[in-house]
Amino acid sequence: MSFFSVENLNINLGEFKLQQVSFDLDRMDYLTVIGPTGAGKTILLESIIGFWQPDEGRIYIEEQDITNEPPEKRRIGIVYQDYALLPHFTVYENIAYGLKKKQKQGIKEKVHEIAISLNIDHLLHRMPLTLSGGEQQRVALARALIVEPRMLLMDEPLSALDPKTRRETRGLLRHAIERFGTTVIHITHDMEDVWSLANKVAIFKDGCMLQFGALEDVFNRPKSEFIAEFVDATILKGMVRENRDGISIIDVNGFKLTSLDDATPGEKVRVAIRPEDIIVAREVPRDISAHNVLEATLEMIVREGKTSSLKLRVRDSLITVLVANSTLHRLDLKPGDRIYAVIKGANVRIV
Amino acid sequence: MHKLNLFRSALILVSLFITALLMFAVVSLFLVPDVKDVWHNIFSREMIFSLKLSVLTGLMSTFLVMVFSIPIGYALSRFTFTGKGFVKTIIDLPVAFPELVLGLCLLLLFGNTWLGKAFDSLGLNFVFTKKGVVIAQFFTALPYASRIMKSTFDYIDPRMEFVSRSLGYSMPETFINVSLPLARNGVLASAVISFARCIGTFGTVLILAGGTYMKTEILPITLYLNISYGNMGMALTSGIVLAVVSFIAIYIFEKAELVL
Repeated sequence: MSFFSVENLNINLGEFKLQQVSFDLDRMDYLTVIGPTGAGKTILLESIIGFWQPDEGRIYIEEQDITNEPPEKRRIGIVYQDYALLPHFTVYENIAYGLKKKQKQGIKEKVHEIAISLNIDHLLHRMPLTLSGGEQQRVALARALIVEPRMLLMDEPLSALDPKTRRETRGLLRHAIERFGTTVIHITHDMEDVWSLANKVAIFKDGCMLQFGALEDVFNRPKSEFIAEFVDATILKGMVRENRDGISIIDVNGFKLTSLDDATPGEKVRVAIRPEDIIVAREVPRDISAHNVLEATLEMIVREGKTSSLKLRVRDSLITVLVANSTLHRLDLKPGDRIYAVIKGANVRIV
Repeated sequence: MHKLNLFRSALILVSLFITALLMFAVVSLFLVPDVKDVWHNIFSREMIFSLKLSVLTGLMSTFLVMVFSIPIGYALSRFTFTGKGFVKTIIDLPVAFPELVLGLCLLLLFGNTWLGKAFDSLGLNFVFTKKGVVIAQFFTALPYASRIMKSTFDYIDPRMEFVSRSLGYSMPETFINVSLPLARNGVLASAVISFARCIGTFGTVLILAGGTYMKTEILPITLYLNISYGNMGMALTSGIVLAVVSFIAIYIFEKAELVL
């Protein structure tokens, strides 16, 4: 049996609900839960921690059925977006709060130890409301981790922080999680959190879990167009024309794509291509190993920080490509330009 | 723009007019009586008895009100249960209920009924007694205190309680460690308003406890009895004492609200 399991979880709170949610996690897994607002993500966390009683389904941790256990018996920690620090306690008292329930000795030493590891040892005498967002978040993390929970749940813990603090806090979070060997479920809207922290991903919509799996599987092989859009992948529909030694040639709206995935000729398929797996070129590239070179029109450029998202039209299909901003300048790309998209066959995944 | 200013000015004028009217009414209470007369009346036997009984019953009622309003406010704020709407309506009822009718209801309840007899057998007779003063004040002030406590707990983020429970504390422990300390300003505001309400309760006390001279005589009863006798000095003095208590209560309430 897995370290943690959710089986057929159903809960209806009127405005929010969860339907038939099932998944397993191994010890030290880091699951990020993504999905639009109102998808039921927070309800999932609060059901796991025991604040909502499910209408149906079971929750197991270390082979123990905790479905009807009160939250205080579950040994599962939670960190919220707005930190939920206790404003009438100092930082020290906040961090020591859970530990005091667990042990009477060695509290001071443990609080100092974790405070040093999260770089908040100079704040221990302060009141929470006098701290910055990043500092408050580290205190909340210290408070949750110091009791060594069997599992840590985090509800958008970094989303209220500015980008620089978010990056720093993410680094500290990763170190702390690795140090304590904690299994984590982390709700986020930030793909950077997903890429840099998670090994598993679950996508929720309207109370249903649409896809769950290893990070690469979900991002490379989204099961639906909604998921593909959510994880920034392009989904194209086509028909398999040929299969040469396990390599499929797919006809997509009049152009051909080669995929290393096996499929039967005549079969209608959908292929997923990740935006960062496509290379753009001004001229037709020659003598290259990639199977797919597509002539395209650059329709739109959307700048997103250090990178830009390009919308390429290939016949009637739109393909999204991610490039560094410096590439835009180097290739002098402008909307309306004729360019070439180069995709390795291994990156055209039949889903 | 001109119309907008006219509208604004009209509203401000109405506010200022009513405030001035109220202010003059209250100020006249302090200006009309003779200071010497007030000073003399404050130290009269009747006023000292009335003041003592008012403060004593007010404190006891406030204590009882807080003992009940905190759990009621918390339950109404945090839990969903069958009959919640009904409980809310019934507890709020005395706010809109005439005090005299509430007094009459309590008189019937604690009079010759099984409940009244049960309390009586425990030595708790509420009809025409000082204990009745406390009960009348309790039921009059309870809705106000329960409302303030519900709003106070509504204002406290339940996730702080969730975190406390996830850290190993049970629901009662979390209530003691987290909810109650965070509600302290609300508790203070609620207690002050309850005390002011208890001290000023007249109709309910008059019907349940009776307005008996030097027996169940609290400040509003002193005011009422002395007005009836035509003793304006004593009536005005009790009015001034009641007004001062109210002012102090409102001042503390405002202070507590500011930091809530």
